[in-house]
Amino acid sequence: MAEKDMQLLAHLMRRAGFGATRAELEKYSKIGYEATVDELLDTTNPQWMSEYLLRRYHPDESSMMLGLGGLDGWLYRMMTTDTPLLEKMALFWSGIFATGYPKVIHAKSLSDQIRMFKRYSLGDFRTLLVEMAKDPAMIIWLDNQQNHKDSINENFGRELLELFSMGVGNYTEDDVKECARAFTGWTIGNCEYMELRSARDSDWPYGRISWHYAFDEDDHDAGEKEFLGRRGNFNGEDIIDIICEQEATARFIARHLYHFFVADEPPVPQWPYQAPRDSEAVDQLAQAYFDSNYDIRSVMKFLFNSEFFKSEACWYEKIKSPAELVTGVMRLTESVDAPQYETKSRQLRMQYMGQTLSNPPSVEGWDGGTAWIDTGALVERMNFASEELGNVSSLGSQGLFKRVVSDGEGELSPQRIVDICLDHVGSISVQDDTRERLVDYASRNGVVTVNDGSIDEIGKEKVAGVLKLIGATPEFQRA
Amino acid sequence: MVSEELVQKDFLRYTRTVGMTTMRGRGFYYPVDSTMSSDGRIYVVSRSSENAPSDTRRVTVLNEDGEYFGVFGTGVSGEDGAFKWPCGIAADSQNRIYVTDEHLHTVFIYKDSGEYLGRWGARGTAEGQLNGPSGIAFDQDGNVLISDSLNHRIQKFSNDGEFILSFGSQGSGDGELNLPWGLGTNSESEVFVADWGNDSIQRFTTDGEFVARYGSSGRQDGEFTRPASVVVSQDGYIYVADWGNERVQVLTPEGEFVQKLRGEATDSNWAKDFLGVNVEEASARERANLEPEIQYFNDDPHEESSHIEKLFWGPTSLMIDEKDRLFVTEANRHRIQVYERNK
Repeated sequence: MAEKDMQLLAHLMRRAGFGATRAELEKYSKIGYEATVDELLDTTNPQWMSEYLLRRYHPDESSMMLGLGGLDGWLYRMMTTDTPLLEKMALFWSGIFATGYPKVIHAKSLSDQIRMFKRYSLGDFRTLLVEMAKDPAMIIWLDNQQNHKDSINENFGRELLELFSMGVGNYTEDDVKECARAFTGWTIGNCEYMELRSARDSDWPYGRISWHYAFDEDDHDAGEKEFLGRRGNFNGEDIIDIICEQEATARFIARHLYHFFVADEPPVPQWPYQAPRDSEAVDQLAQAYFDSNYDIRSVMKFLFNSEFFKSEACWYEKIKSPAELVTGVMRLTESVDAPQYETKSRQLRMQYMGQTLSNPPSVEGWDGGTAWIDTGALVERMNFASEELGNVSSLGSQGLFKRVVSDGEGELSPQRIVDICLDHVGSISVQDDTRERLVDYASRNGVVTVNDGSIDEIGKEKVAGVLKLIGATPEFQRA
Repeated sequence: MVSEELVQKDFLRYTRTVGMTTMRGRGFYYPVDSTMSSDGRIYVVSRSSENAPSDTRRVTVLNEDGEYFGVFGTGVSGEDGAFKWPCGIAADSQNRIYVTDEHLHTVFIYKDSGEYLGRWGARGTAEGQLNGPSGIAFDQDGNVLISDSLNHRIQKFSNDGEFILSFGSQGSGDGELNLPWGLGTNSESEVFVADWGNDSIQRFTTDGEFVARYGSSGRQDGEFTRPASVVVSQDGYIYVADWGNERVQVLTPEGEFVQKLRGEATDSNWAKDFLGVNVEEASARERANLEPEIQYFNDDPHEESSHIEKLFWGPTSLMIDEKDRLFVTEANRHRIQVYERNK
């Protein structure tokens, strides 16, 4: 496979996954780009470290309290999964259907929501919206337990239209009220007791109890409603049917997909006033949504095979989120295949970079793009990548040293070391001046020599030093 | 509602629940194992969380009536007896308390008063070295058996840490082990191993010769999913914490299925104390339906147990006392359910 094609595959893996090692890219190159897309979209039997191992070594993962349950489990999944697109889709939807701990105050409902996203994220968008509307964390986050037949609370109805499906400017205030009426009675079981325990942050006496959806028929307004020009005795599912038919919905979801997988768009509140970066691409994605009868898997297949996605103009155009960066680095090191005491600290490093999983800063999720970068976050990102990539004892580093050795006996040129290292972290292509600086570093302090099929510790440290610097390059920090 | 078949009362009978959750002091926080001293005091080791302060990892001392005698093991480093990933706990004939630590690859030793006596063990694969020690039990001769989990073997030491023998290696055949966890012994000092990764219980002679294997993977009667703990009654009945199935199973001395328990917890004395002074919460709890009918998205009982509070959730440890009563420690519900034999 030509090097350019290999780099296109690397681009695909950075966006549909968390990057790939050179060995993984070589494996995919044997089946080609389109077959790789199909493989990424095949989520029928995802494998990862193991739920049982997680529960055995991290029993607190079952906690429903702040900062404990669910977060490490998700990070382990991202670091060890063979189905990375499923995790990326969960990140994608969790940034749109945003909920967070400060109001929900129930960690398992948040991790349950992520599991729900994985079950439905690549299926029919209508089903996903219905499940999202029944999701206990979402119900509490947007106060739908307070949305009663004789006293509606518009919060969920408004956000369903504004943030989850159509966007501002495509519905009226009356539509919001009618939408809210249709979702009256959608609540959680044992609401009084569960809300009280969350409000008190009470773990007593035996830890929290999982939340479940409940429909209170007596509190549901079954009367006639008028919504987006249609009239009927609509319930919540009827409302979602109508929403999914809307051109605005198709374009709103299409723009979100473009923003997350292709190139950064401005923050959502600016969308009504600022045209998409690539209107034609958004039109095409919206058409794919209708052509497939709202099937997100089909839309994703269209996206990854589109010319606008493959275009070199969008390579390295996205800044990795902290979750993508931490996960990608750890996958490159190949050092996580079992529970580790250190996983919690990696979760914290991600938080220092500005992202706590399942806890976005607002109902609008994370802005993404350059919002990920400030002085503190950038230093943290560079330090983390450098520390982990520069660990000479990791399995990933051992693989790198084998590649260095496979070049043959004798001295390696600094240029060759840099090329091997860039290749090793996923066929990254860097700007010329960046490459010159890497070569300059590799030129200092003597040469790396392969003797009798191995390199000495000084040589290893030197190669690892190049990797550390690569972790700090703009190209590595981007996707 | 929990189906009737899950609540059987023919061999073991539920009697009471002990304990409740607290991060510090009187209570447990992700308790993973329990042991009992000769005077009937119960020692419960809480694993807590890597995110929580170090003093939340502790041994809580109490009796079955909920009388509280304090905590220990809350130092600041491994050198003064503080835990990282505490896992197993056992008492020797002199009531010294031994605690394994999977992260520090060590065994801590305390007096029953909580005074720290020292530690032994170092990480490695050689004889006598440990890699992720988990389950711990004493045999009739006063020697200590340790599940050397990540080395997939059982090691026997004298009670001051002198290596005696080891048996088992990684695999799924008879006598081979896969991440073994809990250990039990019987009156002949035979060793019973919760062969966690192989979904079975294996029985060995005191010298480590394979005797028998019980169970296979599954959720049916006599099948196991990641068993965590095994103990043997004085008359040879085998009790298994079928952890991945969130239940306890009873087997005959020959390994035939007798009974399964799914949990029947009620308010412990400590829980009653809490609810007694938190009237609003107690009142809301009274009005709640704690056994709702729910359609689960999968058939993993872990999910059901997270919703139905009385059911076992994370039964990691079993203990039998001199009266042949069974104590089931549940990591995720921070309590112990006690069962006794029907006469």
